[in-house]
Amino acid sequence: MFSFIQKMRSFERNFSVSPSFPLLPLQLPSPMETHVWFVLPDEFKSVSLLNQYMELLSPCEKENVLTMRGDQLQKRALLARTLVRTTIARYQINNHVVDPRSLKFKKNVHGKPELVWESDDGQCPSPLHFNISHTSSLIACGVTVNSPIGIDVEEKQRKIKNNILAFARRYFSLYEVEHLSAISDSEVQRQEFVKLWILKEAYVKALGRGFSAAPFKTFTIRMKDATNSGASEVVVESSDHPVSLTNNWQFGLFELASSHYAAVCMEKDKTSDVAMRVPMRLTVRKTIPFVEDICISGTDAVVPIAGLIKQV
Amino acid sequence: MAARGALLKYLRVKVQAMPTTRNPNNNGLFGLSFNSIRRFSEEVRGTFLDKSEVTDRVVNVVKNFQKVDPSKGYDWKLKVKWVTPNAHFQNDLGLDSLDSVEIVMALEEEFQFEIPDNEADKINSISLAIDFISSHPQAK
Repeated sequence: MFSFIQKMRSFERNFSVSPSFPLLPLQLPSPMETHVWFVLPDEFKSVSLLNQYMELLSPCEKENVLTMRGDQLQKRALLARTLVRTTIARYQINNHVVDPRSLKFKKNVHGKPELVWESDDGQCPSPLHFNISHTSSLIACGVTVNSPIGIDVEEKQRKIKNNILAFARRYFSLYEVEHLSAISDSEVQRQEFVKLWILKEAYVKALGRGFSAAPFKTFTIRMKDATNSGASEVVVESSDHPVSLTNNWQFGLFELASSHYAAVCMEKDKTSDVAMRVPMRLTVRKTIPFVEDICISGTDAVVPIAGLIKQV
Repeated sequence: MAARGALLKYLRVKVQAMPTTRNPNNNGLFGLSFNSIRRFSEEVRGTFLDKSEVTDRVVNVVKNFQKVDPSKGYDWKLKVKWVTPNAHFQNDLGLDSLDSVEIVMALEEEFQFEIPDNEADKINSISLAIDFISSHPQAK
């Protein structure tokens, strides 16, 4: 499907491995760094492996998986929770090995899922932030440290069932409608629509306050023209919020696995000068939890499209 | 006698003057009473749509929506079959956020009124869509 630069095996293919120490421990992402992990549902056919994953879930999560209708939707829901738990469990904090089953989650006041960190003093917010996005063919999880993150992925071939411009006029900002209207090729227009949609979703998810708290019409995503660094910058402008707030967000837009567009939005590192254009460091890995992890950053499986991205 | 009078008073139907331009095909007495019967019904129902009609129309909009792109990797006939008045967009139909917004837009076009974003956000099942539209006087 795509060429690899390096293949990291977490350990031998062994489906009966003890779940206590299953996952290759990793260093936490640094400031302005996002780690993206993804799974391709079609690669998961082993019933015994899926049953192993089921054992990682909390009772509530198991119940949610089983309320989904049909095998396909249940598998997708199972893989989404498995991806979140196994991804986060890889990041050791204070050299603690983390059992994916032990992780606790809650929803913030607006419904955004968050990791709960239990210390001796009780629960406190975790420095590790994550966000997840699924399509029927790919589920992605982005992880950062000390920065709210939003991620959204979409199939490159995603068809829009309504008329694109009618949809844009209804839901997008004036600038965005004009940008789309100016594109004469209908296929290019559809692609630009999808990219705009996932950037807007990623922003709202990063904000973590729900769709209705930041209605799509109230903010504009713009791609500033490429500078001498060669990359076009993605900025968000909001009629509701002052520049001081919208300047805090950094975007990365890239092609993933030749089949999807992915958008990541994260808060800029507050310690660095906000006026300086610091790239978003990005690491992308494809995973089959307990079986293999493949780092695909820097390969043709990750193609930056917009935003300052530095693949590490 | 008093009782009869009171009863008659109670039963008396109000006579309303009809605007002369109301019914160009006015065929005299019959036309008049037909119009007054229809107006009376509208007053009783308000301008709300009947719930079973809304149910049929909403289910149809979503079924047609499912039929447009039958390539999502699983049996699209099931995707259409599972569109019932109780279906949940995400859990039963596997729809994502873009699908939901597209469906809201299709419902706006079907029922000819705009659904505000903060309300649209909550519509994540067929029954919620039906309830919302049935209770909205602007729906046509």
